[in-house]
Amino acid sequence: MADATEPTPEEQLAALTLSDEEKLVMARVAEILRRVNFGTVVLVVQDGKVVQIEMAEKFRLR
Amino acid sequence: MADRVARLVELPTPRVPKLEVRDLTVSRRQSSGEVVTAARDVSFQVGVGEFVCLIGPSGCGKTSILNVLAGLDTPAAGAAFVGGAPITGPGPERAVLFQEPALFPWLSVRANVELALKLVGVGAAERAERAATWLANVGLTAEADAQPHELSAGMRQRAALARALACEPAVLLGDEPFGALDAQARELLQDEVQRAWMRSEGSSTYLFVTHNVREAVLLADRVLVMSARPGRLVEEVRIQAPRPRGLDDALVARVVTEVHDLLMGEVTP
Repeated sequence: MADATEPTPEEQLAALTLSDEEKLVMARVAEILRRVNFGTVVLVVQDGKVVQIEMAEKFRLR
Repeated sequence: MADRVARLVELPTPRVPKLEVRDLTVSRRQSSGEVVTAARDVSFQVGVGEFVCLIGPSGCGKTSILNVLAGLDTPAAGAAFVGGAPITGPGPERAVLFQEPALFPWLSVRANVELALKLVGVGAAERAERAATWLANVGLTAEADAQPHELSAGMRQRAALARALACEPAVLLGDEPFGALDAQARELLQDEVQRAWMRSEGSSTYLFVTHNVREAVLLADRVLVMSARPGRLVEEVRIQAPRPRGLDDALVARVVTEVHDLLMGEVTP
């Protein structure tokens, strides 16, 4: 059962404030997530900024 | 800022195929006379400017597939194409790097490179210039006048790489090209190959066969994983990470583990 003090997903969304840069980064991540079914996405961070998004996508062939 | 974020990742775009194998089956006759099917019904494409590694357990037919693409062998069934045309034999647009560098032992390193350039029709003045450039690119300027036997195994393979790349082939096929090298020489060569491929800026297509998972993940845009004999393609991994890559990179390390586990499952059913 969820902890009573933990905000619900709706409350978390309502409280969510993102900078423009964060929104752009999240949009890039979402774009990748929409196309990848199986794989790995790595965000490389330097000085608090995402400097690179790397990904590996796997396809079963048999 | 928006520009910077847009450049964080470059999503793969469809490429025109440069190499293709279609329903390829390759077999070989053993000394006992028995015919063994090494790989069965293998189909894949390699796009123009793409770097693909084909990996699989020993005997899965990966070298046989490469030999068909090099025009050195004919398949038992299926077909192979370069630039859309059926492959009927070797051609100057496809250079091959073997595990043992096939240098002429009586020629100097420089003369080996220049001879290859002569064979593809490059004029004398340009031959000297291109040989010097490529020997410098692989760090062999000081050894240009040495004969192959005077070099270490790693240096000989670098000379073979310079010879192959000096001819600016549209396709570079590698059959375990670093398999016989020690760990340091292997790393240096992998680095050279990454740089050479980057320098070609999307015009050269590389297909390497290897059983070294780390090498495949380090080098390739796509890793094609084959099963044990008779080899079939079991998985494709598309890797989108900037080059030159390092083995410590988080994505590289993780994909290496995954492909390694998959291959171990193939060799120990």
